[in-house]
Amino acid sequence: MTVFEIWLGAFLTLAIFSFLYRDNPVYRLAESAFAGISAGYYIGLIWESVIVQFLWVPMTNPENPKVWLVIPLFLGLLMFARLFSGTALGKYVWLSRIGLAFVMGSTAGVFLMSELHGNVLGQMFGTMQVQSAQGEPAVLLTIIVAVGVIATLIYFYFSKEHTGALGVTAKVGIWFIMISFGAHFGYTVMGRISLLIGRVYFLWNDWLGSFLF
Amino acid sequence: MSLWDRIDKLDRRWIFLLVGIAVIIPLFVNMEAEISITPEARQLFEAVDALPNDSSIVLVTFDLYAFSLAETEPMARAALHHLFSKNIRVVTVTTIPLGGPSIAERVTREVAAEYGKTYGVDFVNLGYKPNYVSVLRGMGTDIRSIYPTDNSGTVLDSLPLMNEVFNYDDLDFIFVTADNGIVDFWISIVQAQYGIPVGAGVTAVMAPKQYAYVGSGQMTGLLGGMKGAAEYELLVERADLGVKGMAIQSLIHFLIIALIAVGNIAYFISLRRKRRGQA
Repeated sequence: MTVFEIWLGAFLTLAIFSFLYRDNPVYRLAESAFAGISAGYYIGLIWESVIVQFLWVPMTNPENPKVWLVIPLFLGLLMFARLFSGTALGKYVWLSRIGLAFVMGSTAGVFLMSELHGNVLGQMFGTMQVQSAQGEPAVLLTIIVAVGVIATLIYFYFSKEHTGALGVTAKVGIWFIMISFGAHFGYTVMGRISLLIGRVYFLWNDWLGSFLF
Repeated sequence: MSLWDRIDKLDRRWIFLLVGIAVIIPLFVNMEAEISITPEARQLFEAVDALPNDSSIVLVTFDLYAFSLAETEPMARAALHHLFSKNIRVVTVTTIPLGGPSIAERVTREVAAEYGKTYGVDFVNLGYKPNYVSVLRGMGTDIRSIYPTDNSGTVLDSLPLMNEVFNYDDLDFIFVTADNGIVDFWISIVQAQYGIPVGAGVTAVMAPKQYAYVGSGQMTGLLGGMKGAAEYELLVERADLGVKGMAIQSLIHFLIIALIAVGNIAYFISLRRKRRGQA
């Protein structure tokens, strides 16, 4: 990084950290700059990597022009019909739903298979098999997983009042969910502190280190 | 107002200050934390280590934004050190537009330079393309249909490494570094439907969910957060920010545990006093 980049990075980091004391104009400047630059960068990237590379270049290829790309172009342009809302062309807003329906249909088809393969079948098989043990008793692990899955599923079964045996099992399910939340919280704390450590390292080594030591 | 009441109503900015001091202190004092290697990290290391030297090709993904670099960059660096030290060739890719392509370019080139690796021959950065579902599925059929060029606009056919890589069948392993839910799709689309082994280094926030994939055998090893990065750094004997950061992590974890304990004690004492006052 150049000296300018380091100083800019340090200024923006400190500007964001200043929010920890209270909201202030310097923080809002950094926040707005991030939002604006991100949007501009994203538009430029999409223009170059999608519109130019996947649409304009193949369509205008003199040897083998892909004329059929007019169809996705047309569907994409229909999306902008949403902007007609509140104008004299407001009655044509529905046109945007044609492109949107294509996206929803294709996405649902792809996700159906990936969810089935990855999260439904894969996790079901994983739950049913004996857990691999690395020093721990495998039978105990397998029982814990089986009890945890069944009890948690029963907790989310709302068609019958949680009383009697169902209620006890649902309470066991809550315990498993709470332990899971605890693990998530612990990891989240570690993650957020890691980000702080990364920024402090940058300020200490790259920024202060560039002129203090 | 008693001490416990004051603690109960403490301005949270004092806690921010305490955490800030706890991060800064280890910069002045040389601290070390004992880092144990988890079975999941060892599994990932051993899977990569078992790949044949010289002939293997591994896809390393940089599915990450700049904000998570403290956790994900040490993982990616350690992975690249491991791969390049074994003369394994590397293809990098990202599904994240903001930062992903440039982070992949910078990190890979820096590590590759240490091993004298040549761009196009030993490693290639494909860069970013939008719509990750289409990207992940399309690469299974023909990488060129998704990436006609690399990140710099060079046609793939002109890069020697890419003359051996056409789809997932030509890859031996996928090493995902991610700070978002895209890692789920590397499992559900690529591993589940194309059968290629996938290992991952993810941010700590994401890690608990990913253990389910390791347990079911869908994921070949896992690195969780800075701790995971430190573990892999130790396994490849390249201690860096991950290992250094864990000393600070340990100190702050003690502080947070103490704050949770003190906060709860103060809350319950205040509650008891209020009840006594009402009675």
